[in-house]
Amino acid sequence: MNSGKYRLSILAGLGLLVLLLGLMVTNLLSQLRDLSTAQGDSTQWSISQLDTEFANLNADLLDQLATGRFSDEDLKLRVDITLSRLDIVNSGRAARIIGENDELTSLIRDLGQFEELAISVSDSSNPLTDDQIADLLTIVTELRPNVRRIALLGLSLSAEQSQQRRAQFAGQLRRTGGIAIVLLVLMGALLMLLDRMFRQAAKNDAALQSSAKLLSSTVSASLDAIVTANGAGEIIDFNASAENVFGWSRSEIIGKSMEETFIPHHMRDAHHNGMRRYIKTGQPRVVDAGRVELSALRKSGEEFPVELNITSTEDEDGVKFIAYIRDISERKIAEQELVDARDRAERTDKAKSQFLTLISHEMRTPLNGIMGVLDLLKTTKLSSVQERYADIALASSEILLEHTNEALDVTRIETGDLKLTLQQFSLPELVNGLADVLEPLAREKELRLIVELGDPVCMDFYGDKNRIRQILTNLIGNAIKFSDSGQITVKVDGIHGPEHSSVKFKVSDTGSGIEPEHQEQVFDAFVALAPSEGRQSRGDGLGLSISQKIARRMDGDISLKSEVGVGSTFTLTVPLQRREEVPNSDATDEDPVAPSMKPCKVLVVEDNSINRKVLSDMLEGMGHHVTQAVNGADCIEKSAQLEFDVIFMDISMPVMNGIEAARRLRHDNGPNAETRIIGLTAHGREEYREAAEQAGMNTFHTKPIRLDALRSIIAELSVADPVPMVSAKHPDALGEMRDALGAEQASAVGEQFFNELGEFASQAREGLFEGEPLALAEAAHKMKGAASLFGFEELEPLLEKVEKDARQGAVPDLIAQLDVLERCARKAESDFYVRMSVPS
Amino acid sequence: MAALTRSRISILSVVFATLFASSAASQDGMALQVVPSATSSDIIEFSRETLDAFDQVEFTTTTIWTDGDTHFSGVSLKALLESIDANGSTIEMVALNDYAVTMPISDLEDGAPIIATRMDGNIMSVRDKGPFWVVFPYDSDTKYSTEVTYARSIWQLTRLNIID
Repeated sequence: MNSGKYRLSILAGLGLLVLLLGLMVTNLLSQLRDLSTAQGDSTQWSISQLDTEFANLNADLLDQLATGRFSDEDLKLRVDITLSRLDIVNSGRAARIIGENDELTSLIRDLGQFEELAISVSDSSNPLTDDQIADLLTIVTELRPNVRRIALLGLSLSAEQSQQRRAQFAGQLRRTGGIAIVLLVLMGALLMLLDRMFRQAAKNDAALQSSAKLLSSTVSASLDAIVTANGAGEIIDFNASAENVFGWSRSEIIGKSMEETFIPHHMRDAHHNGMRRYIKTGQPRVVDAGRVELSALRKSGEEFPVELNITSTEDEDGVKFIAYIRDISERKIAEQELVDARDRAERTDKAKSQFLTLISHEMRTPLNGIMGVLDLLKTTKLSSVQERYADIALASSEILLEHTNEALDVTRIETGDLKLTLQQFSLPELVNGLADVLEPLAREKELRLIVELGDPVCMDFYGDKNRIRQILTNLIGNAIKFSDSGQITVKVDGIHGPEHSSVKFKVSDTGSGIEPEHQEQVFDAFVALAPSEGRQSRGDGLGLSISQKIARRMDGDISLKSEVGVGSTFTLTVPLQRREEVPNSDATDEDPVAPSMKPCKVLVVEDNSINRKVLSDMLEGMGHHVTQAVNGADCIEKSAQLEFDVIFMDISMPVMNGIEAARRLRHDNGPNAETRIIGLTAHGREEYREAAEQAGMNTFHTKPIRLDALRSIIAELSVADPVPMVSAKHPDALGEMRDALGAEQASAVGEQFFNELGEFASQAREGLFEGEPLALAEAAHKMKGAASLFGFEELEPLLEKVEKDARQGAVPDLIAQLDVLERCARKAESDFYVRMSVPS
Repeated sequence: MAALTRSRISILSVVFATLFASSAASQDGMALQVVPSATSSDIIEFSRETLDAFDQVEFTTTTIWTDGDTHFSGVSLKALLESIDANGSTIEMVALNDYAVTMPISDLEDGAPIIATRMDGNIMSVRDKGPFWVVFPYDSDTKYSTEVTYARSIWQLTRLNIID
């Protein structure tokens, strides 16, 4: 842009120079012409000659008169010469000069009389007389001053003329000089401009050179290989790193194409097409696409992975490709090694987890036997020593059980399998229950266990109560363990936020406290503080670590505040969802549900013979009738013939496992389709819960199952007995109906309902609703409304499910659902008539 | 060969000139006297008739001494000198009034100057710058419009001396 401006001004300057030069040359040429042609001096000479010849003639005439020595011829020649001078003055340039001057003209005119006489003398053929000569002399003498005057005037005129010419010449010189000065100035200006341009160019050149140098040193020093190729794919530059990477030397490879050198054979076609396409369309794929991982070929022929980045640039020689190539083979190897190492570590870790799971499972099964037998042993008559031994054995078994549970928890937490089971629970009930269980332990060490429940938390919450119980057990257990005197305080309080409540459980002890530098460590896995003091009655390596992990899993945390010599306070903070408030009653003081000792028919399905025997013995000891089955298939067989009140089902069994067996029982529509099934597993609590529930098991229990637990299960069975259920829970719906309609009328309405229900079921069973799910849904909906009117709560969900499924398009297990519905309906019908027959 | 022919002609013309010199001079009283060498005192005379026998050169030009175009005819000075085998480097030209001017022989050209014998077809009297006038074709080239040329344009020419 700038140089364009410069060029324009230089061109304009040059044009001006040429013009001036032309002007000067013309000027100079005309001067030269003027100088080379004489204009005046000869004329001046001619005029002065007139005077000379007059003088000569005068002298000759005088001489002739005195001596007579000249012949007539000589005199006539002299006269002729003088006349010829007069003729010269009268013609040519001399005449012009004279004509311009009046005085000269008149002087010349005066010479006329001489001319006349001279001609007559010269032309006379007679010999000249002295008179003639004397007359001529007189005129000549008379005219001499005139002629002299003419000569002088001619001289001065001539001088004037040459003066004029000089002035003219000087003017011309000045013009020429002026032009020359302008020329010089212009040339100077142009030179300065040129100098400036030159300096600018030199500067640009220097900058360009330094940048080129920098670039070339960058390229040569680059750790990446840099290869430059032209549009035809020929290599035009190859840096030192490229030589190292590819094994080609620069001189060898320059001029060769990329295709025949370092592009692997299997990629050459793609490369070729890609180049052609790019040249043709300008649409890049690899070019300017950022880093791309490809493979390349070394000179020695081996292929290796590279990371490359190709850019393109265009100059007067056409398109150029610049490839920055990095040999990533070592990185790839390292990556592979890293991946291998990770996989190995993962495999090891998984193996460890599997091992732990297996071990805990394998330990639980024998523990099941030991504890079961110890429980049984304690029901027999024992001496006090024997009783104490049995207690010790039981306590030890419990500790062992706890260890296996903890190990299992660790693996679950580590593998992320720890699942929370959310349910509604009463917080006071939970805390008080726990205190009841742990209070004896505290009392053993003569410690007081105090529970302080804040009013705000005396209500129902929604959360994983078992996990909270587990953490609190650990915290309170530790507090008891590490305190030798004083008291354990469990303080529960909370703040109700808008969404949920933050509940705080503070467990304070009066133990020796933990030193500040150890306070963080107590939450690390497998850390047991102060083992040297021998206060550890049992290992607690995992407890706190697991508790904290579980707390965090519940979005809460456990913190520690401790002062050496004063005591420690562990605080569990957990966010919980609120449920309606419950009165802070001493519910725990009430006796648990009175054990119902009504003999039940029980089926025990367990492959392990010891466990089967122990469990059977326990149940029989409680007065129940026990049938044994060795696996799922055996169970199906046995339950096909006999209806049981409850089935204890092991999960892991050969031939057919418990999950499958439960599913079959529920779907086979046999006598035990409705029987309560208690799942038993030696595995963790969570793994099979979902599968077990889906299969239709009612509850789920971890082995070893203890005598107490067994009693509560049986007790729950009695409570959940269907007969009292309906009347107990919904006495009002039927009662109100009977009150309103009278027993007879109510019975009639009820009868109508059951008839309609039966009709609906049989219609559905006969396929009347085939292909009309909406009609089925409507019918089910109608029946559901009626059932709710009567308060038949067990029928409602069944009908609702049919309706829901039908609305979604199909009821895949319609028959099975109808079976259940009809069974429930029969039960509800009999209940209904019982209710109606009872006098109000 | 050419030189030989040329010299033969020259000799003939000299002989011819010598034979008629006296008669020509006497008729008009005006013959051109030529001293062909600085070392000899020989004089060769050329009458108008003799000069007329040479190849005639003619041209029309203006001069600073005449009015309007003038036609001149006569003999090339160079040819004249060659005809007498004049040897020397400088020629002195002398007029009737003893006006003299010198000129290097090397400056002589084939057609300039000429010794004009006729102006506008007429012979020239002494009164009219005759009988012989050395003229240049002034209009044909600016190189003839110089002081030197004007000085060499000698009229009433009567003698040519080869000096040097």
